[in-house]
Amino acid sequence: MSRVESSNLAAHGGGSAQASGHGPAAGVDTPRLAPATGKKWLGIAAAVAGVGLALSAAGFAADRPRFAHAWLVGFVFTVTVGIGALFFVLIQHLTRAAWSVAVRRQAEWVAFSLLAAAPLFAPLYALAPQIWTGWLGPEAAHDELVHKKAAYLNLHAFTIRAVVYFAIWGVLAYWFSKRSTAQDADGKREHTLAMQARSAPAIPFVALSMTFASFDWLMSLDPHWYSTIFGVYIFSGATTSSFAVLALFTVGLQTSGYFRKVSTVEHRHDVGKLLFGFTVFWAYIAFSQFFLIWYANIPEETVFFRERMGEGWMPVSAALLFGHFIIPFTLLLSRHVKRNAVGLSVGAVLMLVMHWVDVYWLVMPNLDRHAPHFSWIDLGGLLGPLGVAAVVVAWKASRENLFPVRDPRLPETYKVENL
Amino acid sequence: MSSAKAHAAPLTNTDDSNPAERSPLILGGAGFASVTNSVAHIVERKTPSGWLVLFAAALTGLLILAGSLGKLVYTGVGVWGLNDTVFWAWDITGFVFWIGIGHAGTLISAILFLFRQKWRTSINRAAEAMTIFAVMAAGIYPAFHVGRVWLLYWVFPVPNQMSLWPNFKSPLLWDVFAVSTYATVSILFWYVGLVPDLATLRDRATTRVRAVVLGIFAIGWRGSHRHWLNYEKAYLILAGLSTPLVLSVHTIVSFDFATSVIPGWHTTIFPPYFVAGAVFSGFAMVVTLMVIVRKAFGLENIVTLRHLENMNKIILTTGSIVGYAYAIEFFTAWYSGNNYERFTFINRAFGPYAWAYWTMVSCNVISPQLFWFKKIRTSIPAMFVLSIFVNIGMWFERFVIIVTSLHRDYLPTSWTYFRPTIWDISLFLGTFGLFFTAFLAFLRFLPAIAISEVKGVLPEADPHGHGHGDESDDAHDAEAAHA
Repeated sequence: MSRVESSNLAAHGGGSAQASGHGPAAGVDTPRLAPATGKKWLGIAAAVAGVGLALSAAGFAADRPRFAHAWLVGFVFTVTVGIGALFFVLIQHLTRAAWSVAVRRQAEWVAFSLLAAAPLFAPLYALAPQIWTGWLGPEAAHDELVHKKAAYLNLHAFTIRAVVYFAIWGVLAYWFSKRSTAQDADGKREHTLAMQARSAPAIPFVALSMTFASFDWLMSLDPHWYSTIFGVYIFSGATTSSFAVLALFTVGLQTSGYFRKVSTVEHRHDVGKLLFGFTVFWAYIAFSQFFLIWYANIPEETVFFRERMGEGWMPVSAALLFGHFIIPFTLLLSRHVKRNAVGLSVGAVLMLVMHWVDVYWLVMPNLDRHAPHFSWIDLGGLLGPLGVAAVVVAWKASRENLFPVRDPRLPETYKVENL
Repeated sequence: MSSAKAHAAPLTNTDDSNPAERSPLILGGAGFASVTNSVAHIVERKTPSGWLVLFAAALTGLLILAGSLGKLVYTGVGVWGLNDTVFWAWDITGFVFWIGIGHAGTLISAILFLFRQKWRTSINRAAEAMTIFAVMAAGIYPAFHVGRVWLLYWVFPVPNQMSLWPNFKSPLLWDVFAVSTYATVSILFWYVGLVPDLATLRDRATTRVRAVVLGIFAIGWRGSHRHWLNYEKAYLILAGLSTPLVLSVHTIVSFDFATSVIPGWHTTIFPPYFVAGAVFSGFAMVVTLMVIVRKAFGLENIVTLRHLENMNKIILTTGSIVGYAYAIEFFTAWYSGNNYERFTFINRAFGPYAWAYWTMVSCNVISPQLFWFKKIRTSIPAMFVLSIFVNIGMWFERFVIIVTSLHRDYLPTSWTYFRPTIWDISLFLGTFGLFFTAFLAFLRFLPAIAISEVKGVLPEADPHGHGHGDESDDAHDAEAAHA
């Protein structure tokens, strides 16, 4: 497949070379990673995955419940970044956006990592009674409230739903990536039209699957607690973190000389604006959830925040307030910072770290009720799923073009300007 | 660009079968001059008799409003159908209904601007005007609900010797701040956008009085480079400031309910769900109005089918978000295991107000799904009917949330069934009178389309479009526009 692509590209690049004297045109930028770079990426990703899996194996042996929770944090972190990227791809097709053609391929790669979600879920499934103890553990038998929800919270239904979620995400991520790269080869407009047509009905599937996945995997950690906004909360974190990854890819490919024409500082600015906007969106959703529960002060709801605002967890909650909102808000508000490679990268890395803190804050009080207890197992739980996803992304990166070289809207993306 | 061509059968611009090209936003070969002429003509011509008829009808509605308010102030809030159990009903339903409609204008002007959606230019002016008038209509309800309307200024924290302060912990007070801020910024935004167009009208004025009056409001606009530079900056800053405002107003309106502990009111998804619903109803109202306006004033080439189609897509999106919220609320009520939560939702769907609930679901969730079909979302009669359905549904949404959550409370002896009185109904009709009086006056006296902004999206205005032979796409666009 890669041979066919490269020969087509050669023809394509040759055709546009004449136009390049006048201004930007397709094919000016190298569409492929240098083979050495691709190998390096794959090597780093494999190393991260190796370290993560080794640490996790040790963690599994040392402290099974802690490993299970740490892996859940890493798994949710990785999968939400993937879903955010998938959502981005869908929205770009749906809105027929031109600017994002320059950055869409990286989002496709990240979304493609969702194909690894099902195997990554396996350890959680195996250890489910040690994670979702509230409704799978022994105490569930005497819990009247849990009995009332048994039609939803039972292992059979949980399994079937998980299969459905992975099927939806896997099929969509695979299909949208496949059609996009197929267009690289044959340049047909039908691919764009097909992706446009399928993007709209795909969105309700992603929205509902993500909502119920967040109920299943996170909200049900405390089966008594409920919040209608919870799915939106997870969505807001997913989009923010995926924009952070996209920003790092964009800056990285630009500063290492790959993107000079296809994506410019204007595209970087656009990704930065989305990162900024969704940072605010996360804060808005997080505040809505917190504020309404705090104000109404109903014990069955406040239990969630009472744990997290106790002495032990309060510093983590405060870290979220400052690190996930106040600091990135003030930082990314500046036009200069969003357009600056270093500034945007700092913001993006911060948001990724805080996304992990956010998921940690959602999951870990289930294990450490009174105070966070950071350990090396947490690192293993993060690096394992993240490393595996990174291997998938690096594998895609080393065999695909860096941008959709024959997207019909590519010429339009060059012209993007911010006021 | 000739006028004969402009009146030729309009080209279609809803064909998106070629992703390499964008359909033109403005049809009929309109150039700078013809855009100015066709918009300015509306306010410069002799008053059309059709307008007079409509204006008379709207004034009648305004009189009904005055009468209803007179009765209300003279007799008291007891003229409404409220009772001990259902202490809020049509009053706050009307308030939230109008505030919701007032969300499309600023969304179009601010958020679509930040997203570089050029199609906004043909509809933003009328939508912003609609926003302001809807907020005015909304304001009537809380203002008169205080009972002694002449003491309304007490809602503001005015220092006084009695040390009497409004309750800062009440979301109703936050509403005062949120809505007044929103109204102020919306008016400012609208006016800033109007300045260049007012100057255009001033320069075309045929009488001295007209030139002076328009000149005052055009605040010395000469269209110089420096003016445009400041204008663009001000517009961007106002857009940035308005964006969080669009969200904040309906968020705080949702707090009126969600900060309580009443099942059916207290739920965390309310803020984003209310915002989506507001945008939903606002766009529906824009579609309803623009379908009529473009036909009545011959603006079909400026407010094209593509604009309407885009709005219908937003209606479909926000309608689906609202549907998502209904579903998640219902599911969570069950999932909570809380008997009161479960009862409230079962009662909503199958209790005495089931008719209202299913009206809401049919209008808000089911009917917009028809917009999945391109034939329907590009059909004027279909979208006109559906947009009205949406606004009926959104009125019912607020009614359902408010009344069904209240009418059967924790004490079965106090259960009741709310029925509106004639004064509830007349006041609501009256607010339409106010809204349409203001909107018709706007159409008659101010440019209903943002002339300068529409010119900015014509192919002639594209800095890449002329003299760059190497960019075939633009050359093609320009040709198409001149053809």
